[in-house]
Amino acid sequence: MRSTIYNIGYFLKEAKTIFKVDLLSNIFSILSIGLIFFILALVISGWGISNYVIGIIEKEAEINVYFREDMRDPDIIELIKEIESIEGIGKAVFVSQEEAYNRMVEILGSEAAILELFDENPFSPFIEVQIHIEEVDSILEELEKIEEVEHIRDNKRVIDRLQNIVFILKIIGLLAVVAVGISTLVVISHIIRQGIYNNREQINTLELLGAPEFFIGFPFFLEGLFLTIMGGLIASLLLVITIRYGYSQMGIALTFIPLPSKDILTNNMVIFIMASSGVLGAVGSLFGLMSSR
Amino acid sequence: MIEAKGVFLTYGDGTEALKDVNLKIEAGEIVYVTGPSGSGKTSLLKLIMGIEYPTEGYLKVMGQNMVREEASNIRRLRRRMGPVFQEFKLIRGRTALENVVLGMRFLGFPPKMIREEAKTALERVGLGHKAYSLVEKLSWGESQRVAIARAIARKPALILADEPTGNLDLKNALNILEILTSLRDERTSVIITTHATHLIEDVEEGKFVRVDNGIIQVERRGVLAI
Ligand SMILES: Nc1ncnc2c1ncn2[C@@H]1O[C@H](COP(=O)(O)OP(=O)(O)O)[C@@H](O)[C@H]1O
Ligand SMILES: [Mg+2]
Repeated sequence: MRSTIYNIGYFLKEAKTIFKVDLLSNIFSILSIGLIFFILALVISGWGISNYVIGIIEKEAEINVYFREDMRDPDIIELIKEIESIEGIGKAVFVSQEEAYNRMVEILGSEAAILELFDENPFSPFIEVQIHIEEVDSILEELEKIEEVEHIRDNKRVIDRLQNIVFILKIIGLLAVVAVGISTLVVISHIIRQGIYNNREQINTLELLGAPEFFIGFPFFLEGLFLTIMGGLIASLLLVITIRYGYSQMGIALTFIPLPSKDILTNNMVIFIMASSGVLGAVGSLFGLMSSR
Repeated sequence: MIEAKGVFLTYGDGTEALKDVNLKIEAGEIVYVTGPSGSGKTSLLKLIMGIEYPTEGYLKVMGQNMVREEASNIRRLRRRMGPVFQEFKLIRGRTALENVVLGMRFLGFPPKMIREEAKTALERVGLGHKAYSLVEKLSWGESQRVAIARAIARKPALILADEPTGNLDLKNALNILEILTSLRDERTSVIITTHATHLIEDVEEGKFVRVDNGIIQVERRGVLAI
């Protein structure tokens, strides 16, 4: 242990020497590892963002329940109570014909004049029901059983489609993680092997002097770790720039699309990139060392 | 310290480098291995260091059975040896002192004394003034001394010097032999190979192993030969 601490300076200096001997190819490795991690980070960010957006949409899921026209107010109140008692339903609110009209005016904005073409209010009153999206199927089933319910409008299809997109993104993300993992391992272990080959004379001498494998291999391990962590730093830098640029390009759209906070996204991704580059660097270096014995 | 019984070494290409070697070397002995170039001197040292394994026969070095299966123990065994290679095997791009220090780093010496001991070893071979010179800037004879300093700084139980006087003029060669023989003590054995028999004609003490075409003959002189 004491001699390991004593040798740390030597190990670092060795790693530096190994790095310098093959400077150009090492710099290219850093750049390519950086790019690989950057692409991975992009995919994972996209995945995270869409998950976040869907989470919010899901939380705000609501369906509109239309009822028979001839119902009187007390019956409507009864109906609302009945609906609220269904499992998975949050709140049910009555939306009158006038309110339905006003909402549409708001949505249409300057185009609202078109509504004046109607002699009568063309909208029907309805009940706005907040639901837990996971239970949408059983809720719809229950609602359809109620006699007074005429018609239900839900955004299930929109949510389904979003979930499909998330599923695809998840698969792409997973593939990206695997691809990045493998290519980093290959690049790093190749670099280590190259380093060992370049230093074969010195390694041979150390072996003849009885140096332990750890003593001989550790500088190479450090070099591999250094290369991937540098690559990780480059990827992090690129990602920070990209996220900043991306968010600034969104401009006003940001107020309408519920995106995760820029800082949280950046922090999480940088932590992820650095952690995985550290782990992959260590594993790749070990592979390189073991395969060149 | 070393015990060989009926040892043969045949290289992969069929060269029979050593034939039926029977040899016993005790702790504290000084051994001169002589013989013409190509006779098998280096091969004998390779066997003792575990760089090659006997193709036949039985070889034990400091209690260690020298067989391929024992490779990791043999590597540990090498930490108790101070080899001086025929081609030096110094590490380029480093100073003489760094080379000597490197040979000591993994031997478990107290870190504080490593540099001092390395410097002392360089001074002992008369190279104190070149401690901070890169080894590729040194002359042949100076490189040879760095290699010797690296070996002795390790405080080994066994010094193995392969042609340490090769290419040196008579004065330098005798000086090197003097340094090496002075390392011998009760616990340290020294093995020196040389093809220059005239250098050791006058040596009065030691064990003399003559190698000819892979066959050895042993002769003793003086009290230090057992
Ligand atoms: N690695 C090897 N492979 C095949 N033959 C070798 C090898 N090393 C040495 N030899 C042969 O073994 C014989 C003894 O060599 P060596 O021990 O180096 O002799 P010396 O050191 O006495 O000059 C020579 O014929 C040499 O050519
Ligand atoms: Mg030789």
